[in-house]
Amino acid sequence: MEKITVKVRETARQAFSSGEVDKILGFAKGDFWQDSYPIFITNENEVDSLIWDSFCINNLSKYLIKELKNTQKIGVFLKGCDSLAFNQLLQDNRIEADRVVIYGVPCVGMIDAEKVKKEGLNKGLLEVKRSGDEISFVTKDGDKNVSGRQFDYDKCLECNHPNPVVYKELMRDEVSREVNKEERFKDVEEIEAMSAEERFSYWSQQFSKCIRCNACRNICPACSCETCVFDNAAAGVSDKAKVDSEDQFFHIIRAYHVAGRCVNCGECSRVCPAGIPLHKLNHKIIKDINELYGEYEAGLDPSKGAPLVTYKLEDIDPFEGHKGGK
Amino acid sequence: MSLESKEDAMVNKDEFKPLIVAFCCNWCSYAGADLAGTSRLNYPANVRIIRVPCSCRVNPNFVLHAFQRGADGVVIAGCHPGDCHYSTGNYYTRRRFTLFSNLLDYIGIEKDRFKVDWISAAEANKFATVMNDVLEKVHKLGPNRKLRDARWKR
Repeated sequence: MEKITVKVRETARQAFSSGEVDKILGFAKGDFWQDSYPIFITNENEVDSLIWDSFCINNLSKYLIKELKNTQKIGVFLKGCDSLAFNQLLQDNRIEADRVVIYGVPCVGMIDAEKVKKEGLNKGLLEVKRSGDEISFVTKDGDKNVSGRQFDYDKCLECNHPNPVVYKELMRDEVSREVNKEERFKDVEEIEAMSAEERFSYWSQQFSKCIRCNACRNICPACSCETCVFDNAAAGVSDKAKVDSEDQFFHIIRAYHVAGRCVNCGECSRVCPAGIPLHKLNHKIIKDINELYGEYEAGLDPSKGAPLVTYKLEDIDPFEGHKGGK
Repeated sequence: MSLESKEDAMVNKDEFKPLIVAFCCNWCSYAGADLAGTSRLNYPANVRIIRVPCSCRVNPNFVLHAFQRGADGVVIAGCHPGDCHYSTGNYYTRRRFTLFSNLLDYIGIEKDRFKVDWISAAEANKFATVMNDVLEKVHKLGPNRKLRDARWKR
């Protein structure tokens, strides 16, 4: 058993026995090597089902919205990206901070099972262990050790916050990761360099893959409205027929709705069953906000006003083309 | 109907007549449009004005809806920044639609189809100029097909 799992269980046990929390949101291991799924436990006897490994990719903070409705105090294990989401939910007044205890887990990156399968390493695979960038694939016929980040999720390779930004205690030492800040909007610049026609054909081709499963919306920590316009049949924006205009409508509005609140966790693209690069829309808006209204990172400081709910008198005005009147 | 006008109708049937939807704020731009009318200024009849309490009332959904259902161009007109009837509404409009028009551009919608402008109640001339200008640009671009709902019929 990995050291981190021991620490997670120990922390959970202590939290229950001291009466610090009524419920804990964590991860349990499923039947397969890549199965780590969220579980909610309410007493000390269940603590031994908790684990932590390289497949705990889900963001547990979004479950808090629902769970806090029927539980007084909740303990939750959060990675760096999840803690940004937590702050964002706090800023959006969706959860109460004093009813949540955060156990922070510094994260070296999560392993993408699809990448492992692509390399053919999944045959007879029993377990994947990771310490830093040393990954060891445990199979029936012995271990295979690999060093490097080639199996990490794409979004993890660009991670700015491997360490939780808010927590009560940390489950392990802080991780340091160097990210090239210059290159973080490279994907957006590539698309911006295309002509309008090329951009439109690129995006309409991507959007037409959409099956409107709403996974991107449901996973998103910034998409937390009680009632969504896309669930309202009377709104006429999400009919049963599959038409391009509604797919375009959905994706433009989805991206714009989280403008200034997107914590750049990349979950939308990860869960998309059609493989639409949704994060490239979010990146574009983040890039514009940074350029026009100053550097802003959603979820970093919940007391700071989000760019679209504040304004400055001297904001740039791109609409001043026609002079007249005064 | 005279013979002459019948012929006119037949000739013009296939001609492209752009449809512009203009969201005008009640306090400035709508009054500006009114003044343009009462001053007998020429502005195109293809402009359909929708009155909104404030330019920041315009939801991006409205803009996309207009494009889906027949509009070839969309204009949002509000009070000049600083002159908002509700003090701050158009400052939000400015931020929101700066980002929104950049996003539309990123997705490949021509920039000339969507415009935000500040038109005060006294600027009848500006109202007419802006509308003529938008119409001219949209006319050059041709009918909007990009966001159009396939089931929409004129």
